Amino acid sequence: MAYKIGYVDPSFNTPEELMMAANLIPYRIFGDPTIDLMDADKFVPPNHCFWARNCLQRGLNGLDKDIKGIIITHACDCSNREYDIWYSHVPYDFYYFLNAPLKRDKISLKFFINDLKELKFQLEEHFGAEITDKKLYEAINLTNEIRKLLKKISEYRNKGLLLGSEFHAIIKNAYKSDKKDVLHNLKEKLKKLEIKEPLPYVDGSKKRILLTGSILDDTEILIYLESLGFEIVTDDLCIGTRYFHNLIEITGDPIKDIANFHLSKPPYSTEHPSSGRFDFIKTLAEKYQVQGVICLVQKFCEPLLYEYPFFRDSFKKIGMPFIFLEKEYKRDSYKQLSTKLEAFKEILRGVKK
Amino acid sequence: MGRHYLAIEQAYRDGTPTAWATSGTSVEMLYTFDVQPILPENAATISAAQKVSKKYIESAEDLGFSYDLCSYFKTNVGAMQNNAPIDLGGIKPPTFMVAADVICDTHVKWFQVQSQRYKVPLYIIDVPHVTSNTTNKQKEYYQSYVEEQMLELMDWISEITKKEYNEEKSREVITNSYELSEYWIKIFELRKTIPCPVSTKDTFGGLFPLFTMPGLKEPIRVFKKMYQETKERVDNGIGALENEQFRLLFEGIPFWYNLKFFGVLEQWGAIIVFEPYTYSFGKFLDPTMTKDYIINNPIKAMSKIMLSFWYIYDLETRVKEFKRVIKEWKIDGVILHNNLSCRPNSCGMYDLKQRLMEEEGIPSLVIEADMNDPRKMNEEQLKNKLESFMEILQKNKKQ
Repeated sequence: MAYKIGYVDPSFNTPEELMMAANLIPYRIFGDPTIDLMDADKFVPPNHCFWARNCLQRGLNGLDKDIKGIIITHACDCSNREYDIWYSHVPYDFYYFLNAPLKRDKISLKFFINDLKELKFQLEEHFGAEITDKKLYEAINLTNEIRKLLKKISEYRNKGLLLGSEFHAIIKNAYKSDKKDVLHNLKEKLKKLEIKEPLPYVDGSKKRILLTGSILDDTEILIYLESLGFEIVTDDLCIGTRYFHNLIEITGDPIKDIANFHLSKPPYSTEHPSSGRFDFIKTLAEKYQVQGVICLVQKFCEPLLYEYPFFRDSFKKIGMPFIFLEKEYKRDSYKQLSTKLEAFKEILRGVKK
Repeated sequence: MGRHYLAIEQAYRDGTPTAWATSGTSVEMLYTFDVQPILPENAATISAAQKVSKKYIESAEDLGFSYDLCSYFKTNVGAMQNNAPIDLGGIKPPTFMVAADVICDTHVKWFQVQSQRYKVPLYIIDVPHVTSNTTNKQKEYYQSYVEEQMLELMDWISEITKKEYNEEKSREVITNSYELSEYWIKIFELRKTIPCPVSTKDTFGGLFPLFTMPGLKEPIRVFKKMYQETKERVDNGIGALENEQFRLLFEGIPFWYNLKFFGVLEQWGAIIVFEPYTYSFGKFLDPTMTKDYIINNPIKAMSKIMLSFWYIYDLETRVKEFKRVIKEWKIDGVILHNNLSCRPNSCGMYDLKQRLMEEEGIPSLVIEADMNDPRKMNEEQLKNKLESFMEILQKNKKQ
């Protein structure tokens, strides 16, 4: 049985292919908004990112026994010093802090390649696996196939054949399961979608929206949005479009190709420059003819809190209805958003599809 | 510091290049190109000291910036929004901006926002984060990464200022910075003496030239004088506090709007003799950074400073260094400021407290407030906490 490497990533810059080539299953650690943070609160002050503290609590509670090591990837401040807390209190023999760069230029690429090579070296040393170029390209081909399928499947959201929440659950599964199983399941899913009739819920009263924000890993929040009458036809999220928007280009140097892939993804709020994120959202919003944009942000998510006025003003300029909502990472708090969301739906009533 | 602000005003009058920089960024690089540095964090502390930071913070919140964001950032946004005068922490848009994520990613977001608002070019230095298990091999390529960016920054500034990089000037600047830091560290060494010759009032007040003027000659003279006076006090057995009973370490940025609060400690005969925050601006703390090294490798030294900054030490190093300081500075108790504006610094504080208490038997207290936002400080509650803490210290001393 293959072992897993758990990784915490507030964005998406973790090279799954490196783990796969070491015969390990990359397992993205998600939060669990139903658990209590009693232990995490002993180590991290309560005004720190709710989601990151929740992930730490999951680690403290004990993760899946097949997980044999932890990678934490840099994206924002919450990933940096919390790594040391994980390292001190969640016992694993293998730990790696991946310094995913802030910038997307040549110097950063060179650095990221060095850091990926070091991760490769440490994985090989610790797990006694040889990560060859051949194995890396096998992994790359597999994840590229998965991305192509996810891209196709994602389009069914726009055709009214797949709920945004269903698609979210599919991506989550892709992040934490054996990629061979993922490929098989996605092929099956696509076959079913290709012959599927439009869903009965597509009654014209639903409001077509683009979902953006910080890391949103609880599918229930999407289900909640849908229950209020929103149809999530597209997104620019890590657990969403950012995972499959690009493919890894194959040039003969697999580590470089992986690094390049991550630095070429659509811009994100934790990077520099980040203003391109708005342009990417705008392009998606136009392509999928959404009526509005919902930006859901985890409480204390600084990168997004800094961007809010820019987003608000930029969407206003293009006449796109936009709502920014900060939420706690607790499932029973979602209903507190209903008044604002109902009001937003009213605004969208007059917006043409 | 008045000299620094006069120089800023002069630069705007003359139309010579100015640059905003975040603390921890290589201000020395700016002086190398005769660019006048302006540190918005420093300006924000002036707003706080002048009791106007709350007004500016609220003004930034009116623009949509969250209550939970960094109060330095919001003070800066609000001060500019209200055209605040320089003596209230007002600064103007510069020729360009340089930020680094040495201390926090917040610095990057802050300057992204302001460079966008004022349409000013921005260069970001990405500094990798050193953690508890970072290896020496990793540190080597981290160092190369920062160095390469410094070389790129050099070209970038050269293009904006139309000025060539001058190696001689660079050596002069880094040497001045080194000498300034040397005096600072020497003053800290003198603080090991019982009674402690200088209080936290002097170090919090005297700190600023280290990050606004490192590279100039004038502050060295001031620091030298400060050192000589401190030395004299030590030689004559004069302490900053008449009846020194307890020696404390204060971790974190102070509450700039209420520095007099620290005076409350005097009633218990307690004095703060070490602050990692102010000490960290001694910068050349990596033992490999000798005077010879920095003179021969100015750019490498500037890069190294960013990677070895005390304020951002990983948890293991932080614990180790705190233990050393407790021993050498003869600390009786530790106060840790869980600064609501500085999440990176407050992260790890609970572990630090626990380990100092368990492994060193040092009473430690975490207090909650904010460096620039007076709304987030409950003075009465803090006094009560300190009172209980001092009782513990008193009991400890008797045992």
